[in-house]
Amino acid sequence: MVFLVSRFRELLGVAWAGLTARWSRTLLIMLGPVVGVAAMVAAVGLTESAKGDLQAKLSKLGTTLIIADAGGSFGQRNPTMPEDAVARAQRVPAVEAASAVTGLNGVVALPTEASKDYYAAFPVPVQAADNALPDVLRVPLQSGRWLNDADLDNHTYSAVLGSSLAHKYGLIPGEIRTVRLNTVNFGVVGVLAPVALAPELDNAVFITQWAAKNDFGTEGKPSRLYLRAREGSTQAAADNLPKAINLGGPEAVTTKVPSDALAASAQADKTLQRVALFAGLLALFVGGLGIANVMSISVIQRSSEIGIRRALGHTRARVGGQFLLEALFVGVLGGLVGAGVGIGVVYGVSALQNWTVVIDYARIPTWIGLAVGVSVAAGLMPSAKAARLEPLETLRLG
Amino acid sequence: MTAALLELESVSRHYGEHVVVHALREVSMSILPGDFMSIVGPSGSGKSTMLGLLGCLDLPSSGTVRVDGVDVASLDDAARSRLRGDAIGFVFQQFHLIPHLSASANVQTALLYRGLSARERRRRADAALGRVGLAERSDHRPVQMSGGEQQRVAIARAIVTEPLIVLADEPTGALDTENSEKVLDIFASLRSESRAIVMVTHDLTVAARAERTISMRDGGIVADERWSSS
Repeated sequence: MVFLVSRFRELLGVAWAGLTARWSRTLLIMLGPVVGVAAMVAAVGLTESAKGDLQAKLSKLGTTLIIADAGGSFGQRNPTMPEDAVARAQRVPAVEAASAVTGLNGVVALPTEASKDYYAAFPVPVQAADNALPDVLRVPLQSGRWLNDADLDNHTYSAVLGSSLAHKYGLIPGEIRTVRLNTVNFGVVGVLAPVALAPELDNAVFITQWAAKNDFGTEGKPSRLYLRAREGSTQAAADNLPKAINLGGPEAVTTKVPSDALAASAQADKTLQRVALFAGLLALFVGGLGIANVMSISVIQRSSEIGIRRALGHTRARVGGQFLLEALFVGVLGGLVGAGVGIGVVYGVSALQNWTVVIDYARIPTWIGLAVGVSVAAGLMPSAKAARLEPLETLRLG
Repeated sequence: MTAALLELESVSRHYGEHVVVHALREVSMSILPGDFMSIVGPSGSGKSTMLGLLGCLDLPSSGTVRVDGVDVASLDDAARSRLRGDAIGFVFQQFHLIPHLSASANVQTALLYRGLSARERRRRADAALGRVGLAERSDHRPVQMSGGEQQRVAIARAIVTEPLIVLADEPTGALDTENSEKVLDIFASLRSESRAIVMVTHDLTVAARAERTISMRDGGIVADERWSSS
C-alpha cells in the first residue's frame, strides 16, 4: 500500500511537472473548466442574490403567520366570526397563538378637528384588538405600550397607533396625544412597529374590545384573526382553520398565508437560472473539447518525451496515467479557480447593485466535480494515444 | 565461458505484409559482460533494427532475443518495460532529454517508479552527473547546455540505473570533434567487468575506439572482430 502511494506520488510529480512546463498552454486549457464553473456559480449566485434581501426578510419574518377572515357568504355586509373564534382556532393542533381584531365601521378617527374633511374622505381603519396581537404578529412596540388588562378592567379610552399613522399624525414619541373617534377622545398610549406581513395594520388605530362594544355598538365578534402556526405546519393549519372556527355554523371563514406572496416574489427567477446554468454547462463541454484538442496536440509534441520514458522502462499505464492526471489537475484547478471567479462575480455585482449576497456553497463541489469529470473524460483519448505510442517510432533511431 | 548479457539467436525481423522488407535475417550474436563494442554498417544495413531489438523496444519476427537469460518475447509489455528499465541504458543521437526538466530531473526520470525516495533519486542522479563531469549543472535545463553537455546528461541518465548494457545510437552524431572525444572518453571510462557498452554507428573513428566491432550489411552480420584497444 505504502508502495502504491509512493508510486502514485511519483506519478503526481511527473504530471505536475508536465503541466507547469508550459503554463500558457495549461492556462489556456484550464479556461474551459474555469469559465464553465464560474458561469454556473455566478448564474445561480446572481439570480439568488437579486432576491437576496427579500429572502433575508422572509427568513426574518418567518412563514408561519396566518390571517383568517370572516366572510365569503354572499351579500353579507359586515361579516364576523363567532365570539369564541380565538378559542376555537386554538383547538387546531398546529396553531400556537391567535389574536382577534374587529374592524369598526362608520367610525372616523381624527387627530385634530381641522383635519375632518381629509379623514372623512380617506378614513383611517379602526380596529378593536385583544392583548395578544403584538405577540402573535411578533412585532414590538415602536414606543409606549400595547393595550392591556388594565385598559379592559378600568375601561380606559386607550389607543395604539400603527406606525404609518403615527408618522402621518406627526406623533413625537412620548408626546401626550389624543385621537378622536367620532365623538370620543382616546389617549394614545403606544405606537406599533411596522408589520411587514400585515401592512394594513400600519395605518390603523387600535382600541380595546370593551371600548368598541361600549361606544360603537360592536358585539365583540371578530372580523379577522391573526394566527401563528407551528413551523412547517402553516399550510395544514390554514386548511383546517375555517372548519375549526365555524364548526358547521353559518359563518364562512377564509384563510391566507401572507408570507406566500413574499415567498413567491423572493423566489429567484428559475428560468433565467436554468438558462444561465445551461450556458455554463455548455462552456464546460466546449472547454472539454478544447482540452481533448490541445492535449492531443500536446501528445504529438511530446512524443519524444513519451518515447524516452518508455525506453527508460515506464510502462504504458504509467505514461497514460501521467497524461490522465494532467487532465485531472486541469479539471480540479480550473474548477477551483472558476468557483473563486464565480463567487467574486456574485460579490462584485451584488456590491454594485446593493444586493444581499446569497451563495449556495453546498452546490459548488458538484460543479467542480462536473468540471473534473469533463476534463478527465476529455483527457481519456489523448492519454490512450500517449500510452499506445511506440518508442521505436518516436525516437527515430539510427 | 561467461554467460551472455544479451543473446540473439537466429533473429529475423521483417516489416510489411504485402511488400515484405527483410530488415534483419537470421542474425545470431551475444554480448558478453565487459564488452566495449560497436556495431557498424552503412544505412539500410539493419543497424537500427538491431538496436530496437537489443533495446527490447521491438520484438523479432522469428528467433529469440534473451536479456540476462530471459526470452523477451515471453514478457508482456509491462514486464518488458521493467526489464528495459533495469537492464538497458539508452543514449541517443538526439539526446532526447525532456526539455522542461532540469539535468538532475532528467536523470531521475530513469529512477521513477522503483520505490526510491525523492532524496535517494536525487542523490543517485547527482552521483551519475558527477561521473560525467556535470555535477555543477544539475539544476540547469537542456536549453542552457551545449550539445556535448546534453549528451553527457543523457549518458548519466543511461548509467544511473546501473544497467547491464548501455546502448548508444550514434552517440557522437550530433557533436563536434572535441565533444565527440569527450563523450567517447566517458564511454571508455564506463567499461566494467559486469557491463557491456554497445555503440551503433556509421562513423569508423567511433568504431575504432571499441574493442569489438560487428559489421553489418543487408540485414546480416558480415564480420565480428575483437582487438585490444589502445
